[in-house]
Amino acid sequence: MKVRAEWFGGIVSLERPRALVSVNRAMMRLLGIAASSRWSGPSRDALSAPTEVHLVISRQCSAGCKSCYVDATPNGPAMSLEQAKAALDRLAAHGVFHVALGGGEALELDYLFEVAEHARRVGILPNLTTAGLGLTPAIAERCKVFGQINVSVDGVGADYEQARGFNGFARAERALRLLRAVKKEVGINCVVSRRSYPNLGRVVALARKLRLNEVELLRFKPSGRGLATWADEDLTPEQARGIFPKAQWLTLRHLMRIKLDCSFAPMVFWHRPSLAVARFFGVVGCEGGNLLASVMPDGALTGCSFGGPNEGSIFDADATRRAFDGGFSAFRGYLARAPEPCRSCEYLSLCKGGCRVVAKAAGDWWQPDPGCPRVRAHRAEAGA
Amino acid sequence: MSSKNDDDAAPRILGVRFGVNPNSSSLGVDVTYLLFGSGAVMVATLMLSAWLRGARGKLEPHGSAGDPSTGKAP
Repeated sequence: MKVRAEWFGGIVSLERPRALVSVNRAMMRLLGIAASSRWSGPSRDALSAPTEVHLVISRQCSAGCKSCYVDATPNGPAMSLEQAKAALDRLAAHGVFHVALGGGEALELDYLFEVAEHARRVGILPNLTTAGLGLTPAIAERCKVFGQINVSVDGVGADYEQARGFNGFARAERALRLLRAVKKEVGINCVVSRRSYPNLGRVVALARKLRLNEVELLRFKPSGRGLATWADEDLTPEQARGIFPKAQWLTLRHLMRIKLDCSFAPMVFWHRPSLAVARFFGVVGCEGGNLLASVMPDGALTGCSFGGPNEGSIFDADATRRAFDGGFSAFRGYLARAPEPCRSCEYLSLCKGGCRVVAKAAGDWWQPDPGCPRVRAHRAEAGA
Repeated sequence: MSSKNDDDAAPRILGVRFGVNPNSSSLGVDVTYLLFGSGAVMVATLMLSAWLRGARGKLEPHGSAGDPSTGKAP
């Protein structure tokens, strides 16, 4: 078990159950941790470093999904093995607990498993998202090195092809079976679009049938090739209001753990869940540059994989330290300048205005997420 | 995941995020826990407190950059 000091006390990383637990200073002392220099000085709004980093080790992928958010191609750029190891060393030095290895299709890199093993060596848990198209029993066996592995399944049967532009469902399902045969921490990632929304139940039923441990629902992002189709794929106002109750219903109906990604936070908070419960269980919106950061194939540090400025290179120790200490203002700065209706929203400190990338695609990075039901109502009122 | 300064407070769990995230976007909402509300907070607090107290002395500091109390620079 690992622990990292923070201004409020610290974060303890448990392996069983897998969890990051935030504790106060008194609990840190009780656990035998010496006082940290981070405990002096004023309270901070940000962590000393992200707890998880998305390491985009390549933009290579031969699948050619029509809405790929990183615009991956068969010949896209990739980090070398040595660069990936150097990036992991830097992240470990800053106390990052988890990395998500992705791209691109990370499994197309012949050194992926060396990267994952290196992550383990330096104390970081490597996790993986894959389309699973070329997975074999031998590759599945090697995937034991990862923590959680999610296979992208945006629909069952013909819905898969409609979402991704090619018929890969049978191969994705086979990958899930092969992975589940060797480990328990296997789940599904499902991008929720206007067209896939009605059939989400079929995806969750598949996860239950295959005895997977989670389904993560991801909002369609206006990024990469997805930018061109976003207007047609973005959820309708009714769907935006319905996604949280639907996820709750599917959780109970299929007894399946369902997660919604950060960009769905405004749609959840619109239903006014208990603020104290949400805070305790880390229900949050945009955590770019705080809980989460990304490293691109060229080493550029960004607050989010879908957008935001380059904060410096992960290969530069000083630049990385500056970024974690006081950078990422494009993300961390939203709270101070949030306009209405975010400013008066009781959930602002958790939601942080929803997805910046969606706001930018709608015209202005610093405006509230236009998909938020509260924002829609506010704008309708202002326009009336 | 944060709280006011509480140097003199009783030992406390401030928050928890279960599971890990393999995705490019951050985990926002684990629907399960919102279903059970404050009862889930109570159960999680009790279980995690016991767990952590059992781990006393077995915790290993992670990361050294920017925190001189834990050792070397990156």
